[in-house]
Amino acid sequence: MLKKSLVSILASASFVLAANVGDLSSVKTLKVDRDLSDLGKSCVECHAKLTPGHVNDWKESRHGHVGVSCVDCHAVKKDNPMAGQNCKGVQGTHTYVSVLVSPKTCARCHPNEVEEFQQSGHARGAIQVKAKAGMQALIHKFEGRNHPTLSESPSATGCIQCHGAFIEVKDGRPTAETWPNYGIGNVYPDGSVGNCKSCHSGHKFSIEESRKPAACASCHLGPDHPDKEIYDNSMHGHIFNTEGNTWKYDSAPDAWEPGDYRAPTCATCHMSGIGNLKSTHNVSKRLKWNIWAPISKLRDGGYETAATDYMKKGKVTKGNPLAGNPKGSKAARAEMEQVCKSCHSTTHTQNFFKMADKHVELYNTYATDAKKMIDELTKKGLIKKDKWADEAFKTWYHLWHHQGRRMRQGALMGAPDYAHWHGVFELQQDIRVLETIYNKRMKTGKIED
Amino acid sequence: MGKENKRFPIVIVSIGIAIGLLLAFISTVAVHETSDKNFCGVCHTMEPMVNAYKMDVHGGAGKRGLEVKCVDCHLPHDSVAGYLLAKMQTGFHDIYAQNFYDLSKIDWQEKRKHREHFVYDSACLACHVNLQEATMSNLKAFRGHKAYFSGKTDKKCVSCHENVGHKNLGDHLPKRDMLNSIKEK
Repeated sequence: MLKKSLVSILASASFVLAANVGDLSSVKTLKVDRDLSDLGKSCVECHAKLTPGHVNDWKESRHGHVGVSCVDCHAVKKDNPMAGQNCKGVQGTHTYVSVLVSPKTCARCHPNEVEEFQQSGHARGAIQVKAKAGMQALIHKFEGRNHPTLSESPSATGCIQCHGAFIEVKDGRPTAETWPNYGIGNVYPDGSVGNCKSCHSGHKFSIEESRKPAACASCHLGPDHPDKEIYDNSMHGHIFNTEGNTWKYDSAPDAWEPGDYRAPTCATCHMSGIGNLKSTHNVSKRLKWNIWAPISKLRDGGYETAATDYMKKGKVTKGNPLAGNPKGSKAARAEMEQVCKSCHSTTHTQNFFKMADKHVELYNTYATDAKKMIDELTKKGLIKKDKWADEAFKTWYHLWHHQGRRMRQGALMGAPDYAHWHGVFELQQDIRVLETIYNKRMKTGKIED
Repeated sequence: MGKENKRFPIVIVSIGIAIGLLLAFISTVAVHETSDKNFCGVCHTMEPMVNAYKMDVHGGAGKRGLEVKCVDCHLPHDSVAGYLLAKMQTGFHDIYAQNFYDLSKIDWQEKRKHREHFVYDSACLACHVNLQEATMSNLKAFRGHKAYFSGKTDKKCVSCHENVGHKNLGDHLPKRDMLNSIKEK
């Protein structure tokens, strides 16, 4: 009796579930012909049943419109390290596929987008994490507790989801420690670097999606770089949150201009071909300062190097912390000012940057003083061996990595609450805490209990 | 002036023409005979490349059995002089390398990353002449090569068509870890 009623409950539950997928069910009998190869057709038609979500996305995508089908991106050569034949549809044929699609594939039709991306700070996401011993220790030793079986979870559930991973493949399938992830700096087994899907989610790869703040917000949030919150706090975000749902986001690249929107999104300022500017996938190109670093410097180092060094020489490096505009930080700022001037007067623009720059420079005075104290304590052996248990070190870390970034990023993106309360106010507190610890330790020559 | 003296220049010129023709004939035959898998495959170093090539559409494995020669891709095709010069340069380099390099130390997998230096776009386009005319009726050919033909990218043909000419070359060449173990020994 119990068995019977359980079965009937399950049956009706699955019926309700099936009824709720709505639009997807109509995909089940999908027949496609136009512009697709026989193999392409068979993939689409079979996956409409197996993974209707994928095909539903694809049919709404531009790829679907121009006849780019599953195998055009997922097919790889047999000698590709990602190649597999786990899909029944290709088993025993000469076709090899991979669930992983690397930027190398995207670059076949979008070469400039991928190249620009690889010249941007985004491209060092995963590589620099691997290159920095301190980060590796934090993730595996301190957070993962060097646990024999559990130490990889902090990386897999956290770090790589934004930074990307060195994706590993076993038996034609990516490993759980490295995939799935939506990290921007993925390093694929075929040697290419980047991840288009971070901003253009699969399998729709929409330009509209990537032009909305949500595309950036899945990573640019939280205590260390609350850029989404900063945007919401700014007048730009205020207007977007009021009426952004009525704007136009699908204008052609380089032709997405004021009028399509009443306030900029992240993509407008950092990437779009507004006015005379050319659109770019190099998000570092219009930036004057590196306002993520412990001490902000001018971005006069040319292009990002991590991806190219890895792809050409197989080198894992920390990348170029001064990556920006190839013509230097002045040119970068000039480009950003051009963005602003599409809507604002020259005085408005220049006054804004004058005070924001001063806030960055003010931050640098805090950071320089704090760093000096930390360096001196380290030299005298007055920092605990386990830095993450040391009050002075922790205060310094939060000073630059959390509140210090909020102070600078809040100022440069017009967010008063972050420039002030979450920023400089916290810093004036931190520096006092640090000074107290510093004076005590220097006086006694001991680390307090 | 005697009769013999009058004929002299004609004889000289005729001999010159004959020698010239002979040399031209020899060079043509030489250029021709040193251009395909039979010649290039003489050295064992080229075995993996030749084997992978034979499995490829370009090596006769296509439906029509069409076979293009090594030099049809690996020499520039923009001018006869450039073609011959590159042939001499690469030819002499290969002879030198075969005799004086430690061939076991060459990382061929790594060399594939520099394929743009030894496969020439002018060569690809000498046969694929119609690609540039591809229109919206062949969407993939059109979209995929738009940036290339409009000069908006520095990429070469083989930057994207990585495996062209030698099917699954990676499986024919020694794997990287194998090579490392050889090096360690």
